[in-house]
Amino acid sequence: MTLTATRPATSAVKPPAKSRRRSFPWPLWMLLALVSVITVSPFFVMFVVALSPPGEPTLPARWPGSLSLDTIVNLLSSSGFVGWTVNTVIYALVSVVIILLTASMAGYAFAKKRFPGRDTMMWAFLATLMVPFQATLIPMFVLISELGGVDTFWGLIVPTLANSQAVFLMRQFIRDLPDELFEAAKVDGASEWRIYWQIVIPLTKPILATLGVFVFLWHWNDFLWPLVMAQSDEMRTLTVGLASMRTEGSPLAVLMASAALSVLPCLLVFALLQRYLVNSIAMTGLK
Amino acid sequence: MRQRMRDPMMGLLFVLPMLVLFLIFRFVPILGAGGMSLTDLNLGGEWNFIGVDNYARLFDDPKFWDSLRITLVYVAIYVPLTVLIALGTALLLNAVVFMRGLFRGMLFLPYVTSFVLAGVIWRWIYEFDGMINGLLDKLDLGPVGFLEETALVLPALAVVSVWKGFGYSMLILLAGLKSIPTSYLEAATVDGAGPWQRFRRITLPLLRPALFFVVIIETIGAFQTFDTIYVMTGGGPARASYTLIYGLYDQGFRFSNLGYAATIGIVLFALVLVVSLAQRRLLDRGNA
Repeated sequence: MTLTATRPATSAVKPPAKSRRRSFPWPLWMLLALVSVITVSPFFVMFVVALSPPGEPTLPARWPGSLSLDTIVNLLSSSGFVGWTVNTVIYALVSVVIILLTASMAGYAFAKKRFPGRDTMMWAFLATLMVPFQATLIPMFVLISELGGVDTFWGLIVPTLANSQAVFLMRQFIRDLPDELFEAAKVDGASEWRIYWQIVIPLTKPILATLGVFVFLWHWNDFLWPLVMAQSDEMRTLTVGLASMRTEGSPLAVLMASAALSVLPCLLVFALLQRYLVNSIAMTGLK
Repeated sequence: MRQRMRDPMMGLLFVLPMLVLFLIFRFVPILGAGGMSLTDLNLGGEWNFIGVDNYARLFDDPKFWDSLRITLVYVAIYVPLTVLIALGTALLLNAVVFMRGLFRGMLFLPYVTSFVLAGVIWRWIYEFDGMINGLLDKLDLGPVGFLEETALVLPALAVVSVWKGFGYSMLILLAGLKSIPTSYLEAATVDGAGPWQRFRRITLPLLRPALFFVVIIETIGAFQTFDTIYVMTGGGPARASYTLIYGLYDQGFRFSNLGYAATIGIVLFALVLVVSLAQRRLLDRGNA
């Protein structure tokens, strides 16, 4: 109340307030810079160790005298690491494609269609968000092993496709598209499939891209499910392989080189789409 | 409206793929978890209905109460730490203009990586011949066994998760801060309010919804911490980081007690539910 009452007075005293805001907050800037550098430093030392010449004692004892790609080249010529990478790429990309397709279809129906049981269904989808994945880990594992899916790609991928967040994000976005668009297309005699492919998909491209990036990162970084699904070394994803290298005591340089290589796609996605990712989290709280 | 009513089955057809996925891979396992917790299912596939024996056994097991206590201690360390750091960095980002984009990117960077990667890097940072002890050594300070001391292991693990994940909460809080009209803060300045009073009386109340959201999701996330523990400590030392979820994995996949592991899953679910409902109530009341 007091605030609104004094507001007219603000304009008179505004200039000093503004200039105070404009003056450079040195201590805050330094603090922020320090925290940022500390946050990034683990990546930095990881890359330094990964690029140290093999056999040379390195951090924290001393900085490597020169950098070398030897460890990374060796790693890329070992079938294990390459196989894990291929598995991870398949796991992430196939999941992205199917989730984008099924979630946009469901989102369209929930947003713009009427059919029996729609609201119950939507409520039931949303309710599953409250159940942590780990609480259903055991029955999920039993189900997949009964269906013969342990140690297979479909067993790894298919159970992760039922994604409530994806459906709801699509629904919210499609709901805000004008109804007239769909009515007009229908009057013109377009089939539902045509409306989906030629109106829904093109108009939801921005949200599909955002969702695609997040699903990619979720799957690329996923651990517990691939861990229980990959019984053989051949089915391991990068996270599972990396964890096994750690527990089996691989040399530090090899471990750091694997870690560095496995994070490169994430860093690339991040570098290209930083602003985009940041804005979408700020707007939607997507996780 | 009439157009949309014409073909009610089309809508169903579009939901069908996702519905099938949800029915088989969400609803069946959720119901299955409850059912399985009432059996003595093992990895051999044999099972008998044993009623609530698993629950009785769990509540009788001092190791269960230990792991529950460890989980709660971990949550109690992790949540305030991550929310404070997220809030602090969000406030800094909001106050600083020069190079803001770069700093925001640097702080958010670990979020796009995996907990396994965080665990692998930080395990080495914490080791006796790792980064921190290397630096301590140069200062002639004794080595610290971050992952070897029972008192240090939970804070050490919490720091890793904070590093990996605070950027997400930071962005949510930053968006909340940006939505506060600057005219409020300017008016308060004119009225003679200092920085602390402005924060306490204007920023904090208006930020409450964002803070509430962040506290809830970070708490739920903390209950589910697994990857870093698996990679860094294996539940040790002396079971000091043996959380509920780690016990669930161990019982299910190392000892193949699937029924018993499912019971731990149900307890975890109940816990997450109770905590989020309690937080909702508490924070709603605080708002009034």
